[in-house]
Amino acid sequence: MIVTAHRSLLLAAVALTLVLGGCASPADRAAMTPQNLTVSKHHPYSLRVQTGGGAETGTMDSSNISNADLKAAIEDAVVRSKLFTSIVQGSNGDYELSVRLTSLSKPTFGGTFTVDMETAWSLTKTSDHSVALRKSVKTSGTATMSDAFAGVTRLRMAVEAATRNNIEQGLKAVAELNL
Amino acid sequence: MKRLLKLAALLGLVTVLTTGCAVNRATANVDPSANLSSLKTMYVKRIADDDNTYNLIADKLRSKGVTVSTGTEAAPSGVDAVVTYIDKWMWDMTMYMLELTVNIRDPKTDFPLATGNSFHTSLTRLSPTEMVNEVVDNIYKDAK
Repeated sequence: MIVTAHRSLLLAAVALTLVLGGCASPADRAAMTPQNLTVSKHHPYSLRVQTGGGAETGTMDSSNISNADLKAAIEDAVVRSKLFTSIVQGSNGDYELSVRLTSLSKPTFGGTFTVDMETAWSLTKTSDHSVALRKSVKTSGTATMSDAFAGVTRLRMAVEAATRNNIEQGLKAVAELNL
Repeated sequence: MKRLLKLAALLGLVTVLTTGCAVNRATANVDPSANLSSLKTMYVKRIADDDNTYNLIADKLRSKGVTVSTGTEAAPSGVDAVVTYIDKWMWDMTMYMLELTVNIRDPKTDFPLATGNSFHTSLTRLSPTEMVNEVVDNIYKDAK
């Protein structure tokens, strides 16, 4: 009888925990897109974007960045800032931008979460495969208890902030090139 | 009732302070413009307080036919690539390697030419040697 009562209490408490926090959700593509990015140059070419190194967020995982969402966030930022004339899919763009997520360091415990991120940006001219840019971009993002109470949400916000900063820095580096 | 409240408070605290649950992941990617087979000499840059992970990485790369040196100083001139890594450890009954990220970089620009990452939580933990093997094998599997 006592064992059954304890088991019920435990189940209720676990259920409460899941309702309060649940598991992680992936970084949101809109939240990863820099909103007011201004660039020094506008390149009169079309661009193809490809991404790698990202991961889906499993139900038992912490927040990750999927390749598709990273690609969409970069493409959206390029379109908003008019950095290139157009975005193309497939292999017929004037330039190809490859962005690979090479490191995403996430805390597992704490109040204020800081996420460190590194990406490898390379820009290649499609016609002759010449490399116009090869750059490592390192950024971080922080979320505090005032941003979100639940740890999983706070971590997602920190990941999104790090990605937003990263895309901004990467595109600014591309904007400085003379293509 | 008191016990339930205590337990709920404890689990609530866990919810607030922690970030996720259990997962296994192993990924690798190589820059489209990189050619790993041309990298014959590498320098594994040892993290100062690392006991052995750098040795495991060096040995694994040697098994791929690469000439490898290690150290905590800046890379010597003339190496084709510098290898950096981040190993994250966790305690659950014993210490285990939770996550390993290995980057193979251009020695002149620090640009990551290739990257591998493995993440295994406690129940499916791998030994450090297995983690290193998995990461390095995945990098070379993804190469041209």
